[in-house]
Amino acid sequence: MTEQPSKADLPLIEGNKSLAQVTADVCAPLERRAGALWWAAFLVSFAFLLLGTAAVTYQMVTGIGTWGLNRGVGWAFDITNFVFWIGIGHAGTLISAILFLFRQRWRNSVNRSAEAMTLFAVTCAGIFPIIHMGRPWLFYWMLPYPNDRGSLWINFRSPLVWDFFAISTYFTISLVFWYVGLIPDLATLRDRFKPGWYRGFLSFFSLGWNGSSRTWHRYESVYLLLAGLATPLVVSVHTVVSTDFAVTLLPGWHTTLLPPYFVTGAIFSGMAMVLTLMLIARKTMHLEDYITSRHIDAMTKLVLATSGLMGLAYLTEIFTAIYSGNAYEYLALQNRLTGSLAWGYWLMVACNVFIPQLFWLSRVRTCVPLVFVICVLVNVGMWFERFVIIVTALERDFLPSSWTDYAPTLVELATLAGSFGLFFTCFLLFCRFLPAIAIAEVKGILGPPAAETGGGS
Amino acid sequence: MLEHEPLSESDQAELELSRRAFLKVAGFSFMGALAAGCQRAPERHAVPPLAQTEGVVPGRSLLYASTCGGCNAGCGILAKVRDGRPIKLEGNPNHPLSLGGMCATGQASILGLYDSQRLQHPLKNGERATWNSVDAEIRTQLDEVRRERKAVRFLSDTITSPTTRQAIADFLASFPNNRPKHVIHDPHSCSAILDAHLQTHGVRALPQYRLERAEVIASFDADFLGTWIAPVAFSVGYQAGRYLQGPLPHLSYHVQFESRLSLTGSKADQRLCVAPGEMGLVMTQLASRVARQAGRDWGGGELPLSSVPAPFLDDLAGRLWTARGRCLVLCGSQDLGEQMVCNFLNHLLGNYDATLDVTHPSYQSQANDRDVQELIAELERGDVGALFVYRSNPAYDLPTPVAASLRNLPLLVSFSPRRDETARLSRYVCPEPHYLESWNDAEAVDGVVSLYQPVLERLGDRLPPGAFRTRSLLETLATWMGRPRLADEQLREYWQTRIYPRSLITISFQQFWDQALHDGFVRIRNQADLMVPGVSTIGLLGFPGHGSLLAVSALFPDRAINQSAIVRPYNPATDIVPIRQARPISANAFTVVLYPKVGMLNGSHAYNPWLQELPDPISKVTWDNYACLSPAAAAALQVRQGDVVRFEGIDDMELPVLIQPGQHDRVVAVALGYGSKLSERFANIGPPWLEARSTVGQNRMVGVNAAPLLVWQENGLRYQRAGIRLVKTGRQHPLACTQQEPIIRQPLPMAGTRQPLPIVRETTLPALLRPVPDRPAEESRDLWPDDHRIPDTTPRWGMAIDLNGCTGCSACVIACQVENNIPVVGKDEVRRHREMHWLRIDRYYSNPVRSPVDGGPRKDTEVNVAHQPMLCQHCGNAPCETVCPVLATVHSDEGLNQQVYNRCVGTRYCANNCPYKVRRFNWFDYAHGDQLHNLVLNPDVTVRSRGVMEKCTFCVQRIQEAKIEARRLGHVLADGDIETACQQSCPTKVIVFGDLNDPRSRAAQLAKSTRAYKVLEELNVQPAVSYLAIVRNRQGEAAT
Repeated sequence: MTEQPSKADLPLIEGNKSLAQVTADVCAPLERRAGALWWAAFLVSFAFLLLGTAAVTYQMVTGIGTWGLNRGVGWAFDITNFVFWIGIGHAGTLISAILFLFRQRWRNSVNRSAEAMTLFAVTCAGIFPIIHMGRPWLFYWMLPYPNDRGSLWINFRSPLVWDFFAISTYFTISLVFWYVGLIPDLATLRDRFKPGWYRGFLSFFSLGWNGSSRTWHRYESVYLLLAGLATPLVVSVHTVVSTDFAVTLLPGWHTTLLPPYFVTGAIFSGMAMVLTLMLIARKTMHLEDYITSRHIDAMTKLVLATSGLMGLAYLTEIFTAIYSGNAYEYLALQNRLTGSLAWGYWLMVACNVFIPQLFWLSRVRTCVPLVFVICVLVNVGMWFERFVIIVTALERDFLPSSWTDYAPTLVELATLAGSFGLFFTCFLLFCRFLPAIAIAEVKGILGPPAAETGGGS
Repeated sequence: MLEHEPLSESDQAELELSRRAFLKVAGFSFMGALAAGCQRAPERHAVPPLAQTEGVVPGRSLLYASTCGGCNAGCGILAKVRDGRPIKLEGNPNHPLSLGGMCATGQASILGLYDSQRLQHPLKNGERATWNSVDAEIRTQLDEVRRERKAVRFLSDTITSPTTRQAIADFLASFPNNRPKHVIHDPHSCSAILDAHLQTHGVRALPQYRLERAEVIASFDADFLGTWIAPVAFSVGYQAGRYLQGPLPHLSYHVQFESRLSLTGSKADQRLCVAPGEMGLVMTQLASRVARQAGRDWGGGELPLSSVPAPFLDDLAGRLWTARGRCLVLCGSQDLGEQMVCNFLNHLLGNYDATLDVTHPSYQSQANDRDVQELIAELERGDVGALFVYRSNPAYDLPTPVAASLRNLPLLVSFSPRRDETARLSRYVCPEPHYLESWNDAEAVDGVVSLYQPVLERLGDRLPPGAFRTRSLLETLATWMGRPRLADEQLREYWQTRIYPRSLITISFQQFWDQALHDGFVRIRNQADLMVPGVSTIGLLGFPGHGSLLAVSALFPDRAINQSAIVRPYNPATDIVPIRQARPISANAFTVVLYPKVGMLNGSHAYNPWLQELPDPISKVTWDNYACLSPAAAAALQVRQGDVVRFEGIDDMELPVLIQPGQHDRVVAVALGYGSKLSERFANIGPPWLEARSTVGQNRMVGVNAAPLLVWQENGLRYQRAGIRLVKTGRQHPLACTQQEPIIRQPLPMAGTRQPLPIVRETTLPALLRPVPDRPAEESRDLWPDDHRIPDTTPRWGMAIDLNGCTGCSACVIACQVENNIPVVGKDEVRRHREMHWLRIDRYYSNPVRSPVDGGPRKDTEVNVAHQPMLCQHCGNAPCETVCPVLATVHSDEGLNQQVYNRCVGTRYCANNCPYKVRRFNWFDYAHGDQLHNLVLNPDVTVRSRGVMEKCTFCVQRIQEAKIEARRLGHVLADGDIETACQQSCPTKVIVFGDLNDPRSRAAQLAKSTRAYKVLEELNVQPAVSYLAIVRNRQGEAAT
C-alpha cells in the first residue's frame, strides 16, 4: 500500500467528468438499444428463471416429495437458499445505510445497484419460505390477520413468525430507501425522454420533483432518516434468521454463536455479491470510470475483513462444541468436520477463509478477473456454509435410528438455478430501465477531492 | 361388463356407487341382523328394519369374537365392526392361547377382506364363470374321474378346522375307487417334529409347547418368538416366564443356538452362532451331558468337539438338569435325527407332560412332507386324475417345478381367493370368501376349539350382480357331493355331533353354541382324555435303555399306526454322526439358510401392502428379500449392501446383499415368501413423480422366490442347502431400509465431557438384584416457567414400555397402521426415508465388551440386539410446540401433544426440532383411490392430505371414546379402560397406557420402577413415555 499515493488522494470518479457527462454516461445504457452482451446475459438468466418456475410449479402441483427431503432432514435446499439470499441482501443495506452514515463517500457509485440487489435478493429469499411449505396456498396463515375462527392466532414463540416480520420489514424499508434515493434520478431521466409511456412512468414516480433547494432539503432529511431506520436492520434481520436454528434443541443449531456468525456471514457474502455484480455491470454498461479500482479496492478490503471474522466464527464454533462438554454437540461437530458432508464443510472453509486471504496482496485486489473469481468462490462457500449448517445437524441428531442422509433431486437443483435466474433477470432489467448509478450522488463527489472534505450531503 | 376379476378403474367407479348402496343397506340391515342374531347365522334375505335394532347405534363399534385366519396358530380375535364393516381386529383377551395378543400378520389380514383384486366369482380357464356352470362341469368331470379310477388328491396346508377336515374326508370318501388322499403341505414345514414323535412316541403329533412353565429354554434354530408354529402363544408364554414386576420377579434363562440372527435369537440371554451343519453335534453333546447328569446310559460314545465351548455346554446341561421338568428344549430343524435328539433331551429332562405335551397335541402344523413328495412323484407320473388345492400354492412354494405336471392334470381345482401361481394353472378356481365373512372353526390345540363367524354379510351379497360371489369350501364340497348345504348348518351339525359331546359342563347344545359364539372359543375335553382317561406317564420308544413305558399312540386309536413298521431302535452313534461333522468348506461355498420373514411368512400374504412395507424386525428392510451375509463374508466377497449376487447353479437366482451382524460367516440367509405373483400388483404403488422408481424388481414382483433353493431329502423339505457359490454381478439393487445406522454410536467421551445417558439401557439379572446405593439426586432446576401445568385432578396420559418384554414382533406397528389410517408409500419412498409409520421399532446392535458366553474376547458373531418401540413421547416441554408458526401442534390439558391437521401448513419445523424424529410428513397425496380398500379406514381418524404433518396421537380417538362412554354410563374412568391400538395387540403386553397423575395406575407404577428411564431425559423435554431397561440373564457387564 505504501508504494501508491494515499487512496484518499485519488479521485473517486475517473475521467475528469463534467456534471453533464455524468448524466449522459449513466443514462446512456437506458437510451440506446441493448447490446449483445446484455441480451446474452438476459436470455441465460431468463432461461434459468423459466426452468425454476417450471420446477416450482411442478413441485406445487405434485408435492414437496419432489424434493429430496426425508423424515429426518425437513429442510435442505429450501432454507439454505433462503438464508443465502437474505445474506446477499445485507450488503445493500450496509452500503446504503451504514456507509452513508459513516460518510464513506465511495459508496455513492455503488449504492444504487447494491440496494437494487438487496431488493432482488430479498425477493428471491422470500419465495423459499412460501414454497417450502407443505400447503403453500395457505401461507397467509402465518399472518396475524383477524379471523372468524375464535381465538385462532399465530404462535409468537415461533422464530418463523419472527422471520416473517423481519423479512417483510426489511423488504419494505429497503424498497422505500431505494425508491427515495431514485427520485432525483427519475426526474433527471424524465427530463431527457420524449413523451411516451416511459416518460409517463418516470413522471409519476418522480413525484413532481423540481430540483428546488427545498425539495433537495426534504429529500436529504428523509434519506438520512431512512438510513438511520435501515441501520438496525442490518443486524436484526439475520439475527432473526439465525434464531430459526439457534432456538431449537438440535446439536449444531442450538448455539448462541449463530446471530453474530450469521450477520458477519451475510455481510461477507453480500459484499462478494455486490462486487460480482459491479464487475459485471461495469463491463457490460461501460461504467469503468464510475466504478473504479478504488471502489474495488475498498470492497475487497471489506471482504477480507469479514473473511477473517468468518474464520473466527468457525473456530469459535469448534471451541464451544468442545468446551461445552456436551457429547451431542461434540458428535455434531465431529460429523460436520468428518461426516458424509465433510467435503462441503472444507469447501466452505477453503472458499470463505483461505481463498479471500489473497486479498492481502494489492496485485490481487487490482486484478479484476481474479477479484471476480474470488468473489464467486466466496458466494459458493457461503452457500455451502448454510447448507452444511442446516443439513449436517438434521442428518445426525440424537437417536441413531433416525439418522438419514440427504441428496437433492433435480427439482431442487432447478429451483436453485431458478432463483439465480430470477435474481439476474431482475438485475439486468434494472440496469436497462433505471439508472444503475445514483447520478445525483455521484455528482456530489466529482471534482478535486480537496473540495469534498468539508462536504456534508 | 365385468369380464375380469381384478377391478379396473371403471369398475371401481361403479363400485363407489355400490359402496354407498352397500353401506346404506349395511348400516340398517346387516347391523340389525348381525347384532340381533350375533348368536345365529345371518338370514339369507335380510329385510331392513324400520325401527332401529336395539343396541345398535350408528357410530358405535360392536366387537364380535372370532378367530384369526392370518396363519394356522388360531389366535382369538375380536373384530371391531363399525356401521356394518369390520375396521380393526383386536386380540381376544380371554382366548386361552393368545391372551389378547396378535401378530403383525393377523393384524394386517383384515386388509384381505377389502382387497379389490380378490376373485369375485369362479373362474374357468382363467375366465369368469358362474357357480352353476362351474358346479355342473366339475360334477360331470368328477363322475368321469370316478370312472377312470385315477388318483384323487386334496392338497392343503394345515387345516385346524375339524369341520373342514371332516368335510374334506367326506368328499374324498365319495371317491372310493380313486385311492383318495388328503395331502398336507406347509411351506414352513414342521414335518420332522411330527415324524420324530412318531419314532419316539409312536404318534405322529406336534406337541403343545408350554413356554410359560419353562425356566430354562434351549432353542436350536427354532424362531419361536418370530415365525415358528404359533409365535403369539409362544411369546405370551415366554413373557410369563420373564416377568420382572411385582413381588416375585422371575426371569427364565434362554439360550439360542442358531446360524442366522433371528428375532428369537435377538432376545436370548445367550446366543450362540453355530454353523447349520454343526447343530446336530451341539445337540448331541448337550444330550450326552444331560444323560451323564441323569446317570443314564448314553450310547453314542466319544463325540468330536464343536465350536461351542465345552464349559458352556456343561453349564447349560447343569442348568437344564436342575430345572428338569421346568425347562424346554426346542428344535426348529427339519432333520429327523436332530428332532429325535431333541425328544431324547426333553425326555431325559422329564419335560414331557410338563413343558411339552404330546398327549394334548397341537394341530397348528400337520405337514407331512413325505406325502407331498409322493404327490409330486404321482403328478410327474401322470397318476393323478383330480387335484384340489386349498390354501396351498404348490406352483410357487415347492423346489420342484411342478407347473408343467399341474397344467397337464385332467382336473385341477383351486379354491384360492386370489390369482396365485396355482390358480393361474387351474382349470377351475372356486374362490373362498375371506375368513371374516365366513363360518368355520379351529382346534389349534387339543381341547380348545374356536369359531370363525361372519362379521359382515359376504361382501357383494348386496352389491349388483358382478360383484363378489365367493363360496366357502364347506358349501362348495357339499354342492359337488349333491347335498348343498350352508356352511353354518354344516358347522352346527358337526358341533352338535362331535364337539358338543366333549363339553366340560352339562348345558344344552344351544347354550353351548351360544356361549362358544359369544366367547369365540370353547374349552372342551381333550381327545386323549376322551380315549384313555388318566394317562400321565409317557415313555420313550426306541431309545435303548430308556424303556417304553407307554406309547402315546395307544391314546389315539383312531390314528393307530403300524408301530412295527415305523419305530426302530434309535442309535445315537449312527443316527447323529452323518450330520454332526461340520465339514470343511471351500472359501466361497455358503450354506443357504431359508427362513420365513416376520409378517410375510409363507408368501400367501404377499398381496398385503401393509406387510410388504413392514420393516423386518432385525434387518429393518421393507419390500424385498435379500441375501444376508455376515460382515466378514461380505468383505471376503468384496460386496457391499445392495450389491447383487448370483447364486450359481440355481436358475440364475440373483439377490441383493444385506450385511447382517451376528450371522455365521459361512451362511447366506434368504427369506421365503417373496417373488410371488400376488405382488405384481405393486408395480405402480407409491406416488408417481419425476424421479420415482418402481417398487417391483426386474421380475415385476416384490423380491425373488427363494423356493428353488429348498431341498427335498429323504424325510422331507430342508431349509438349508450347502455348497452354494455366490458370484458378484456388479449390479446394484438398493434396499429400502428404514434404519440407516445399525450400531448405537455414542459420541467419544472427551476429557470433561459428560457421557450422554444411554438410549437403550441394559442390565444383567445379577446387577438388577444387587441393591443399588441411593444416588444423591442431581440438583436441577427448571428455568422455564411451567406454563401448562396439568392439575392433579385431570389425567396426564402417559405410557410405560418394558423393553425387556419387547420382542420386536411389530404387531404394534401394523395395529397402529390399521387404527390410524396410515398410508403405504411404496419401496422408493421408504428408500428415501419417508415411511409413514407412527410407531416404529428401533433396532440397535451393540457389541458386548467381552464374550458373554465364556468371558473371553468378543467374537464377531456376538452382538447384543435391542428393540425399542419409538413413538411420539408427548413431551411436557414439547420442542415441536414452540416452533410451529401457526399453532398447529399444541398441548392438551391432559398432557397430549396434539397435531391439528387442518391448521398445519407444513413447514416441517416441528419435525426438525423433534429429538425423537417421530413426526411424519405427507410428502405427497398418498393414494386412497381404491374405494373398496377405503372401507378399512377408521372413521374416527382423519385421513390426512398432502402437505401436513402427522404423528402418534396416543390413539386420542380411543381416549375420547372411553371418556364419552364412561360419562354416558356415569362411571369414573378406570385404569385400563383405555387401551391404545399398539398396547391392545402386543402379545407380551409390554406397552401400558394410563394416567400418570393417578399413582395407582399401572403406567404410573411402572414409570417408578427401578428399571424405568426416559429416552433423552437430559434434554428436559419431559417425555410421557417411560422405558424399562432390558435385563439379560447372564453374568458380566451391566453397562448399556
